[in-house]
Amino acid sequence: MVRRPTGECGNRAGSNRASTPTISRRQYLAGSAAVGVGSAFAGCLGGEDRLTVGYALPFTGTYAILGESIVNGFELYLEQNDGEIDGEEVETIERDTEADTNRGVDVTRELLVEEQVDALVGPVSSAVAITMMQTIENEASAIWLNANAGDYRVTEEGCLNYHFRTSFNDWQTSAPLAGWVYNNVADTVCLAYADYAFGQNSKNFFREAFEDAGGEVVAEVGAPLGTDDYSTYLGDIENSGADAVFSFFAGSDAVNYITDFADYGLNEEMTQTGSGFLLSEDTLPAQGEAALGMYSLLHYAPTQETDRNTEFVENYRDAYDSSANVYACQGYDSAQAFAAAVEESGGSDPNEMADALGGTELDSPRGSFRFNPETHEPIQNLYVREVVASDGEQPVENQVVETIEGVESPSWGCSL
Amino acid sequence: MVETILRATLLGLQLGVTLALIAAGLTLIFGMLDVINFAHGALYMLGAYFGAVIAAELGSFWLALVLAPLFVGVVGAAIEVLSLRPLYGRNPLYHILLTFGFAIMIQGTVLQVWGGQARRIARPDLLTGSVAIGSLNYPLYRLFVLVVGTILIVAIWLAIERSNFGILMRASAHDTEMVNALGIDVSKVFTGVFVFGAVLAGLAGVLLAVSRSVNPGMGMGIIIEAFVIVVIGGLGSFRGAVYTALLIGLVTSYGALIAPTLTELFLFGLMAVVLMIKPNGFFGTTEAA
Repeated sequence: MVRRPTGECGNRAGSNRASTPTISRRQYLAGSAAVGVGSAFAGCLGGEDRLTVGYALPFTGTYAILGESIVNGFELYLEQNDGEIDGEEVETIERDTEADTNRGVDVTRELLVEEQVDALVGPVSSAVAITMMQTIENEASAIWLNANAGDYRVTEEGCLNYHFRTSFNDWQTSAPLAGWVYNNVADTVCLAYADYAFGQNSKNFFREAFEDAGGEVVAEVGAPLGTDDYSTYLGDIENSGADAVFSFFAGSDAVNYITDFADYGLNEEMTQTGSGFLLSEDTLPAQGEAALGMYSLLHYAPTQETDRNTEFVENYRDAYDSSANVYACQGYDSAQAFAAAVEESGGSDPNEMADALGGTELDSPRGSFRFNPETHEPIQNLYVREVVASDGEQPVENQVVETIEGVESPSWGCSL
Repeated sequence: MVETILRATLLGLQLGVTLALIAAGLTLIFGMLDVINFAHGALYMLGAYFGAVIAAELGSFWLALVLAPLFVGVVGAAIEVLSLRPLYGRNPLYHILLTFGFAIMIQGTVLQVWGGQARRIARPDLLTGSVAIGSLNYPLYRLFVLVVGTILIVAIWLAIERSNFGILMRASAHDTEMVNALGIDVSKVFTGVFVFGAVLAGLAGVLLAVSRSVNPGMGMGIIIEAFVIVVIGGLGSFRGAVYTALLIGLVTSYGALIAPTLTELFLFGLMAVVLMIKPNGFFGTTEAA
């Protein structure tokens, strides 16, 4: 049990004291008095147990909005449960990873060693996730709720008992689309991708599945991450003569790519398909009508009309005055996973939590969701979505056109 | 093949004139005021955001194109009058630190006010669609940027070389005391130059915000490119900045055809080669500017 008494009402993040779980009450009181938080004592001597959650997420920089959405999702669940899980108060601690791999290791160490968190939520970037693996395994003190980083290598190279993907992996957001594209759109495709690990993984997985389905990949076009203008790359895509494109771009790149694609009239020559990040809630408002008629695959669509999701979207809007997105859903499910782990294991021992959580089914806004006990990868529905005109707040939105149910991922040699 | 090269050439030129607008402001400010303005990229970003907000609120790209750069000019005036003015003549390090601080402050403020979500300015109806150039369908808006950019660059060139203000500007930079002695308030001239540079950056921001996503990171991305241009062209040389911007635009777009992953390497390789052969850049003078 890595729980501590609730004695310390002071602001943990701000104190220099290195707290350890074995510290005695007497030592603790002396230490606290020394740093001048004595005044806060009176209400703090309850001795009740408490759970702590550490966010290792970007709060500044390009991915800030993703980090914020994940936190919002997590805290929405806590609010709905009066800030408690299994009758115990939950404390959350934020640490900014800044999408920087060095910061990732520092933040992980701080949260696990100094803050003694019971669960680690994050990160956004897969590069950060991969650098965090070693520390998490060595410390063996918390479960890791991977609320976004989708690189399959976290499972292939890490295969950690503590690791639970409450999000997705890059195989899931690309490969299952291949069969659908082959059956419904085209039998020749061109692959266009942002030339970094995630883009490469996505197009490789798609290529494999598309060729297995009987289709042909006629060309590949990689553009550097952060390309502002796609004109020259569009020439290669157009010249490939393919009937469809499968693309992986995200964020600003996705906005620029889709805008250029439509600008040059490629919409009329070929069908744009891609991973869901190409056409998501954070890019669609800027892509606007340029994105109409394009298809993408993701494990979540805010427009999905199930009772569970409608309720989630409404609650989220009430709480934060903004639209729910896939990251918010991943944050929310991380909280649900943590709650399930604590409730089913009856405590916060990381090994017991991990054992209890493998195979657990969550009542997620995204639909069916459970963990594969062998890999801790999610087994979930994937949704093929088409961008359609909307009479809502934004001119366009994603509409689910097909549900691919209960998608499992390869095990990548991981067997827990 | 012809189509591919034509497309790359047009893109290179369009990229070139927009880079020239940004680099022109940077090099003018350095040439006249001796200030290395690290906040220039942030002003460019501010232009794009102001433009996006105006276009969304008033529903007009054209109003955004006129108003947003003026607002950026106001911000530029505030920076110059309140913070730079007391520091003229000091070690350039002061200006670098100060303007770098402004860059970070502006970026932080933008993130706070508008969030991290990407935005874009909707294309004006007049400029939707594309025109056929040979066998290539080229987007009309991109052609508009190319034409407007070229006109502006020529106009600035004429203003510096031919107009009274241009003469005054060059004279103020050359011999501040003499111009002061002639009864002209040089500090006003300096403010004018800084504001002018800011307006150009803001204008480039609005022009590009139609085809590029508007996001809080865009200013930091462009400032490096702009500095490379100013250095290769010769610090303080307007002519050098324009030629180099066009060259860099073409190198970037042809580079993307040949080896997409190496375009940045081409950029810095070019800078290294030029500086080895001509340490002061293409049009730099041997004496300090």
